[in-house]
Amino acid sequence: MAHFNYDPAVIGRVFEDTEPVVVETQQIRDYCAALGEDDPIYTDQEAARLGPFDTLTAPPSYVLILRTGKDFLGHIPRLANNMMDAGRDLDLLEPVRAGDRLRLVSQIKEIYEKTGRSGPMAFVIVRSTVLNQNQQVVAHIDHHFIQRNR
Amino acid sequence: MATTLDLHCHSEASDDSRAPVEAYLKWIALHRKERPLDGIVLTEHRQFNAAADYRTLEDKYGLLILNASEAETDYGHMLVFGVNRDIMRRFDFKNIRLPAQELIDGVAELGGAVVPCHPGRPTVGLCEYYAHAPALSNVVAVERFNGGSRRGEEERAAALIEQYRYRATGGSDSHLVSLIGLCATRFESNVRTSEELVAELKGGNFTAVDFRPTRQPVPRAGAAE
Repeated sequence: MAHFNYDPAVIGRVFEDTEPVVVETQQIRDYCAALGEDDPIYTDQEAARLGPFDTLTAPPSYVLILRTGKDFLGHIPRLANNMMDAGRDLDLLEPVRAGDRLRLVSQIKEIYEKTGRSGPMAFVIVRSTVLNQNQQVVAHIDHHFIQRNR
Repeated sequence: MATTLDLHCHSEASDDSRAPVEAYLKWIALHRKERPLDGIVLTEHRQFNAAADYRTLEDKYGLLILNASEAETDYGHMLVFGVNRDIMRRFDFKNIRLPAQELIDGVAELGGAVVPCHPGRPTVGLCEYYAHAPALSNVVAVERFNGGSRRGEEERAAALIEQYRYRATGGSDSHLVSLIGLCATRFESNVRTSEELVAELKGGNFTAVDFRPTRQPVPRAGAAE
């Protein structure tokens, strides 16, 4: 990189695999209440049985409340003295069903550099893959971090 | 027949945009009175997607969609039009310190054209580099109107264009759907392909156009009617 240096070996290295957490029906209901989501396929067991997944599922963004490990931020290569959260991209692949056991497997997906009005910036993309108890990939969450020297 | 194109916009293929190409076209279709565009040129950051095929969308909306790139150089950001296999082989668009003069000359030699964009912008615009480095040669045009400009940036661009007698283009630099077509370039000929676009840029028969609404000053609270 022109302005920022890092070890290319960090790309793709898994640094975290969290303990599975069970998706409880009440948690889904609480999440829906917090969002104002009232679609019965998320809140009503009977309605959900008639829906596309035969059972109660969580709204798609539910996976964003899954917690990464305590040292998650510590594993992000520091390329500059200032780092900020630049948002997350979510790619949903499987429904989250009540009773699922979900875990997050996180790795550095990509590091690249660009220049903007404020000068050079490094972008670090961390991918957390959400897996269920059947080892199915439920979602990819790409966390974007911007780093720059100020 | 004249052709008006937004020469600078980013779709969701760029890392900092979430605008789907079709959403741009829908917006243009809805706002043709205020922004009378014939098409757009996608200038994704640091990349060129040679496989992109927008013919279905072009037919559906009756708009031209061309592909280009926004490269980063040692003189700031530059739009590269008419990108082809030879250009891609010679230049690595991921390199954020591409040598500008080499890019301008090499791209021209291989059938394309380079237009420095938002020249008045700090850090990424030509003006800042001209303050301490020699002026570039063989510049076919620079971007005069940019929909993302902040205060002072367009004045600096205008002064640069006047000083060096550059030709001027316009583009929205849109990263959001509603900003598409705020600025554009009007070509006096019918442009239908990237090759024709490059020929027109080199020929110089075009003008930068600005479709941004003029803002009315907000009256101060308590001011007399």
